[in-house]
Amino acid sequence: MSGQNFAFLLVLVAALGFFSYNIQRLVSYLKLGLPENRLDHPERRTWNLITIGFAQTRILRERGAGLSHASVFWGFLVITAGTAEILLHGVWPGFSYEHLLPRPLWQLFMLSQEIFAVIVLVAVSWLLWRRIVSPPKRLQGKEIHNTEAIIILFVIASLMLTLYTTGAFEYAANPAMRAAQYGWFRPISSLLGAALSGAPEGAMHAAYTVSFWSHALLVLGFLNFLPYSKHLHVVSSLINVWFSNTSGPGQVGVMKPMDLEAEVEQFGALDVDHLSWKNLLDGYSCTECGRCTAACPANITGKPLSPRKIVVDTRRRLMEKAPLMAGELDVEGSATLLMEAPGASDAFGNRLLDNYITEDELWACTSCRACVTECPVSIDQLDIIYELRRGLVLNEGRFPEEVQPTFESLEKNASPWAFSPADRARWSEGLNIPTYAEAFAEGKRPDILFWVGCMGSFDDRAKKITVAFARILQAADIDFAILGQEETCHGDPARRLGNEYLYQMLAKGTIETLDRYEVKTIVTFCPHCFHQMGNEFPQLGGNYEVIHHSTYIERLLNANMIPLTTEHGKHLTMTYHDSCYLGRYNDVYDSPRESLKRALPILTLVEPERTKDRGLCCGAGGGRMFVDEKVGKRINVERTEELIATGADVIAVACPFCMTMMTDGVAKLESAVTVLDISEVVAGQLAPVRSRELVAGD
Amino acid sequence: MKIAVCIKRVADMGARFQIGADGASVSDAGIKYDMSDFDEWAVEAALQLNEKHGGGEVTVISLGPDSAQETLRKALAMGADKAVHLKADRIPFDGFAIAEALAAELKDGGFDLVLFGRIAVDSAAGVTGAMVAELLDMPCVTAVSKLEVSGTTGTAERQVEGGVETLSFPLPALCTIDQGLVTQARYPSLKGIMAAKKKPMESKPAQLGAISVNVSKMELPPERSAGRIVGEGAAAVPELIRLLQTEAKVL
Repeated sequence: MSGQNFAFLLVLVAALGFFSYNIQRLVSYLKLGLPENRLDHPERRTWNLITIGFAQTRILRERGAGLSHASVFWGFLVITAGTAEILLHGVWPGFSYEHLLPRPLWQLFMLSQEIFAVIVLVAVSWLLWRRIVSPPKRLQGKEIHNTEAIIILFVIASLMLTLYTTGAFEYAANPAMRAAQYGWFRPISSLLGAALSGAPEGAMHAAYTVSFWSHALLVLGFLNFLPYSKHLHVVSSLINVWFSNTSGPGQVGVMKPMDLEAEVEQFGALDVDHLSWKNLLDGYSCTECGRCTAACPANITGKPLSPRKIVVDTRRRLMEKAPLMAGELDVEGSATLLMEAPGASDAFGNRLLDNYITEDELWACTSCRACVTECPVSIDQLDIIYELRRGLVLNEGRFPEEVQPTFESLEKNASPWAFSPADRARWSEGLNIPTYAEAFAEGKRPDILFWVGCMGSFDDRAKKITVAFARILQAADIDFAILGQEETCHGDPARRLGNEYLYQMLAKGTIETLDRYEVKTIVTFCPHCFHQMGNEFPQLGGNYEVIHHSTYIERLLNANMIPLTTEHGKHLTMTYHDSCYLGRYNDVYDSPRESLKRALPILTLVEPERTKDRGLCCGAGGGRMFVDEKVGKRINVERTEELIATGADVIAVACPFCMTMMTDGVAKLESAVTVLDISEVVAGQLAPVRSRELVAGD
Repeated sequence: MKIAVCIKRVADMGARFQIGADGASVSDAGIKYDMSDFDEWAVEAALQLNEKHGGGEVTVISLGPDSAQETLRKALAMGADKAVHLKADRIPFDGFAIAEALAAELKDGGFDLVLFGRIAVDSAAGVTGAMVAELLDMPCVTAVSKLEVSGTTGTAERQVEGGVETLSFPLPALCTIDQGLVTQARYPSLKGIMAAKKKPMESKPAQLGAISVNVSKMELPPERSAGRIVGEGAAAVPELIRLLQTEAKVL
């Protein structure tokens, strides 16, 4: 081994050692988080890794930047194989894949290196131009580490260039090896080398050494810069995608179960060590790309929430707090403080809540899941927001003051609004709809529970949806019943607002009622009820088949069970507004559209700019229905403007919350557009024999 | 400061009331109970006073059947330190009988301040606090909308017709708390609810005084008759005025 090889070995060992030290440090910080099992369903996780990770499906949702990133990423994967060879070659000059691979394969490998290096160079140039000359809105602002990104892009470009120069100088310095080592399979190095071949061989040798060392030092420098920068995602994002639950396994959008009997110091989270290790890994994986914030309805309309900041703050606070904890973490991750560390008590007095993330940011969230859906590395911003909301409410009793009547009414009336439970079934008077109590008294067991929901029971506009849907069920001769006065809120608004205690009280009460009546199948037109009872009740032992009315109506229409009129009236243009809890939470996009088209074949359905899984929230989710919207533009106005701009005569919705928000938006904009629930459109087309009045028309 | 707050469990006023079988009580069916609003504000005022001055102790006292303990637990969850349940089969209407029981409990407690709600929202008599003050021989300020304590002197503001009056008095004293002293009573956090389970709650028989006032009959207000549409447009105005004069007698 020559002196130079020995020196290279020392550098390599030092660089890898330092990198490994840093990675171990970062892994030990993760142990500050709470335990959470993320090893279930390995097949599903691996599928996510292949699609979201390797195939870059999420990042490709944005065409230009997505393709550039994917090029750099795929290039990185291919070129890393070559980098390993180069590093080994530095220590052991005789090492080459040439001796390990059959020649055609080796030639292909060499060709792949050169081609991908070009692709990476083109992509990086475009990314640099975009960073420097015309940054999109999401890459502007003080949260962004722009200089760091630019340096990294230059380093990547330099890596590619030195890859070529090293080859070219080697070509020029060693005429003897040209025939075997160079040719069509290393086109760029060969061409560059040929251009240099007149130069003195000694100079070319020296240039080769400089170029080789530059490349190797850039690689090792880059590697060791990662743990200190947002480019840590190079290491953590694939791992994060595997461990993430945002695209399954399990039902997406389900809040974490919570044991209220547990002997804990705090409920939910007030600081980073109350979050799970996976929330902390999310912090490592954030590249600050801002796709989440660009899609956030609160952020778009000028509220103080940025989902990117939630994740970046989690990482920043972890980096502040974790070094204060003793290195010796036990298995549970509990730690002892090193209070004598300089500045430790100040930093320790801080916490994630208030010092980093403020209450106003947390309450601005509509839980629409747009951020989670956009994240290219499967970060769950919403999970952190929910845990902090729980921390606020359950430990400190802090929430917007207008929420208190909501909580109190849920306690007293089992409805978020102060209506008497005795009035719950008023809408059904004279409609000949049995309650479960009546059905049971006659020894009957109805097939379907029509779960009306609090909006459907008490809100004057939503009651029309209730009646419309009930008429459809009657027209289709469905054996159904309602719970009447025995229906109670399942507690979802309380849960979304962080009040898990109240939620569990209400949810358990509801499950008791459902089980008492041996309910198996539930149909509801409220996506919040649909999501809560179908996806979150299993946590508390309530297992039912819950069907949203859009899906149910589509099924009935497909089975020709709904008698429709052939009179279609005047031609209408409609646009459908996606409900978050139906779409992004439950992947129901087509049923409402299909139901509309089948019921009214002559209608023209137009799509707004932001639609389906990119749809903009109405502003009422996540308990925002009960919180005043004081800052910025109203979300429902932003959304209604977009829907009206489609030129539609009718805005169709499939959620009573969206109905309220869109109706208010239309009124505010003084538009003549009508807002209808899909069931009202369908009920309006019922054959006249069955439907005495057209509900949708009034 | 050692503060006692006397609280009452009352029916939720949003409920649809029905008269009980005896014709002199409210039927229990479908009724939810909670702390009287004014009493909640009194608890909040006591907690805020001690938070401001540091230290101190808040004791909540309630008279009634065992269910009163639920209301006391809520006050403990809000942050009160201990609770005393004065057990009685029912809450009599006679405020003086209640006042005697409360005074017997408060007498040797060594409290600097005793707080009541201005009225209980169900009976709305508003006399018990003043009666207790008399029995304990304490200065009494009713319907307090602002309360400050400095050393052994209290300062209270009362909203009076067209203005505000400020009063000062020596401690120990008794105040009844009006709406407006606090903006909102705090919502018990889960942490508070858990902590409340471990706080002391003493239950003993109430030493009720002689009951001399009883409810003999309760009636619901007469049902409002349906509205009537007299006619449309300007033509209907003379008829409307005639009816307002002769039938409704409001003009």
